[in-house]
Amino acid sequence: MLLLSGIEMEEEKKDMIKKVSVLMMVVITMVMILAGCGSKEGYSIGISQFAVHGSLDNCREGFLAGLAEEGFVEGDNLTIEYVNAQADAGTAALTASNFVTKKVDLICAIATPSASTAYNATMNTNIPVVYTAVTDPVAAGLANEDKTSVGNVTGTSDVLAVEEQLGMIRRILPDAEKIGIIYNTSEANSVSAIADYKEKAGAYGFEIVESGVTAMSEVSLAAADLVNKVDCITNLTDNTVVSALQTVLDEANKKNIPVFGSEVEQVRAGCVASMGLEYYELGKQTGKMAAKILKGEVQASALEFEIITEPSLYVNTAAAEKIGLILADSFVESAYECFDEIVVE
Amino acid sequence: MLKLINISKNYNPGSVNEICLFQNFNFTVEDGAFVSVVGSNGSGKTSMLNLICGSIGTDYGSIMVNNEDITRQKGYIRHRRIGRVYQDPAKGTCPSMTILENMSLADNKGKPFHLGRGVSKGKIEDYKVLLRSLNLGLEDKMNIQVGSLSGGQRQALALLMASMTPIDFLILDEHTAALDPKTAERIMELTEYIVSEKHITTIMVTHNLRYAVEYGSRLVMMHEGKIILDESGEKKKLIQTGEIMDLFNKISVECGN
Amino acid sequence: MALILSVLEQGMIYGILALGVYITYKILDFPDLTVDGSFPFGAALSVRMIGEWGLPAVLTLPAAFFGGVLVGMCTGIIHVKLKVRDLLSGIVMMTGLYTINLWVAGTGYVPIFNKETIFDNEMVNSIVPSYLFQFKNVVIIFLITMAAKYLLDWYLRTKSGFLLRAVGDNDTLVTSLGVDKGLVKIVGLSIANGLVSLSGCLYAQQQRSFEISIGTGAVAIGLASVIIGTSLLRKITLIRVTSSVIIGSIIYKACIALAMYAGVSANAIKLITAVLFLIILVIGMDKKRR
Repeated sequence: MLLLSGIEMEEEKKDMIKKVSVLMMVVITMVMILAGCGSKEGYSIGISQFAVHGSLDNCREGFLAGLAEEGFVEGDNLTIEYVNAQADAGTAALTASNFVTKKVDLICAIATPSASTAYNATMNTNIPVVYTAVTDPVAAGLANEDKTSVGNVTGTSDVLAVEEQLGMIRRILPDAEKIGIIYNTSEANSVSAIADYKEKAGAYGFEIVESGVTAMSEVSLAAADLVNKVDCITNLTDNTVVSALQTVLDEANKKNIPVFGSEVEQVRAGCVASMGLEYYELGKQTGKMAAKILKGEVQASALEFEIITEPSLYVNTAAAEKIGLILADSFVESAYECFDEIVVE
Repeated sequence: MLKLINISKNYNPGSVNEICLFQNFNFTVEDGAFVSVVGSNGSGKTSMLNLICGSIGTDYGSIMVNNEDITRQKGYIRHRRIGRVYQDPAKGTCPSMTILENMSLADNKGKPFHLGRGVSKGKIEDYKVLLRSLNLGLEDKMNIQVGSLSGGQRQALALLMASMTPIDFLILDEHTAALDPKTAERIMELTEYIVSEKHITTIMVTHNLRYAVEYGSRLVMMHEGKIILDESGEKKKLIQTGEIMDLFNKISVECGN
Repeated sequence: MALILSVLEQGMIYGILALGVYITYKILDFPDLTVDGSFPFGAALSVRMIGEWGLPAVLTLPAAFFGGVLVGMCTGIIHVKLKVRDLLSGIVMMTGLYTINLWVAGTGYVPIFNKETIFDNEMVNSIVPSYLFQFKNVVIIFLITMAAKYLLDWYLRTKSGFLLRAVGDNDTLVTSLGVDKGLVKIVGLSIANGLVSLSGCLYAQQQRSFEISIGTGAVAIGLASVIIGTSLLRKITLIRVTSSVIIGSIIYKACIALAMYAGVSANAIKLITAVLFLIILVIGMDKKRR
């Protein structure tokens, strides 16, 4: 009761405070905008990353390394602002718009939604966008069918090495018939990847069993159900599923079913093997492209998007042991990198 | 003319909580009559009003208005020819709208609510005249939100709104029960004035035995879904409040209250 | 400058959404979660029309509005005829619309970068001189938002609009006036979701893409805008409620943009929004209790 009357008495005061703070915020904005109009030392790059998971983080680190190799070192002649959208499209859009306001020299966008929002925000500006980890730039509207760019935007694509992955699975499991894939139905990358898998699986004697989810919370149930129907599971570059990788591994391990990853971080985390991309290298490649643009050697619009053509074999013997899967020595030795323990972060 | 013919209504039939509201209940109201209905709580007074207005349906029987069978007619359609004032002053008006807007709404009862202007400029004077007849000074406050009026003022407005358009019946559901004695008197005088001016057939349910005796041309007392007293015209004028009170106490004692 | 333009654009687009939420939440007293589904519905319909069907962008506006009207009608029918509670009717629609929106758009992410939109088409580009291009968006959005606002203001002054205001206040009165209150509620829900869908249509064209998750939290943004607008601008009688709701939306977006500009992490922003929301709700509710 006392609290209520206290609130009522102070209501008028609170009202005033609210109005004053709004006014103050407007003033601060003006000041900051005016201040931001000054010139900066060196170059500035805004990194807009869509979600937190190993592959994307590797991209970012690779990107910075690639820039460093070309002479752009953070702290020296380069300021980096890094924002992670936490898988929220609205935040990604806001981030892009924010970078444009701050007049960065280049935006690095990691993953499709970040790339899309960055391209949209920079459309009427001179700021180039260099993306990475965008599985299908053509479908995302960032590139034409012939790989040429649609505007001041270019980058690298992490298109899956489907054929090589299928071949690898056949080598490891000569008798397997069904491969399960979990994916988020609303991620366009995943939808086109599934189509790709289905097209090519037949030639290797496999049948693809897919399980669609709409959110990370559904992965657990989907996995529990799928492991009863298939001989193994393989991953796409689906942000939702990769973020929930441990859940998938838990369910698969209960049935001693191997899970094959789409890149090295997943193998390190417990997937048996992968014919995958080294996201760090992909990031590095992207960093070098960005460096060329910053130096003024070439415009983003003139660069076609690049992909990594040679996938590498990664193997995790500890993961194989866990489910009682025996891998031939020659196979393990042929791997680009072999892990003998499961690292869960 | 209103006729309730052989109405039967049970709540929760066949269960432990079965309540028989009415059984073969008959009631007729002539045009121009002003009927006061009294009775103890649970006697069926308000249920009868709800039956007439269509808020509750009947199990058996029929309701006739001017020889038209409206038993199956939906509640909101019946309300086009009925004015109803509730006990709660808040139920008869819209608190967030102004007096003028409320009156414009009420004026449109029975007509389609289309995309024409909500408030007709030409009618504002007419509304002012109506408000003046209330003698509450509301004609000067037409742009004030109804929510800021007192209970009595709102009830007076509700009464006015209920009777603005041509209606077959005016249903008054204990409409003075929530008001202080002085305001209640004012409202009753207002009711008398409006009813006699417009010759509206009126059914008034009240707990106030004095009002029941003093106002109206017919007095009905209900008990357990039946009518136990029904006097009109000259005989009604002779009834004293004390007599009604005694009868009331008698049936209350029989019920063990 | 880019920041101010961005805030104004987003603020006004979501302002139209706020108008819709204002109708259901404040006027009808019906917390309508359909908004989380009808906002992306307008967006999905627009990208399908512009992208795959190649229709002129100006058609997306009425299409989105009437699409939203249909959606709102469904919510209304579920609530009135099937007697499902207000909150649950909205949840049912919002859930079903996820699938419908995916189906309408084609897939979970649809870009329309190289297509003509309502902001970027032959007619507009020929009228506006190129040095004013950065203002194109905000002017067009302003015109559409003002049109929506004035139409809504006009409607609320008609007989039908009066009924809408009455049904949220005192639905017994609506029945007493001889009108089916269920029908009035359905009309209200239809108009509200039509506006929300229109807002989604503009959003998709401004972002030049459709993403399935844009609807998540839309109703929260709408409510925040309505409450900020009505609480802060209540005392200023010159400003109509509909304008204050749009201004509330702009203020809300400004706060978020400022927070991000100042370097607040994306995670913290949601918490700050929640706290801001709570403070304003408490102040707003307190005034109501008087």
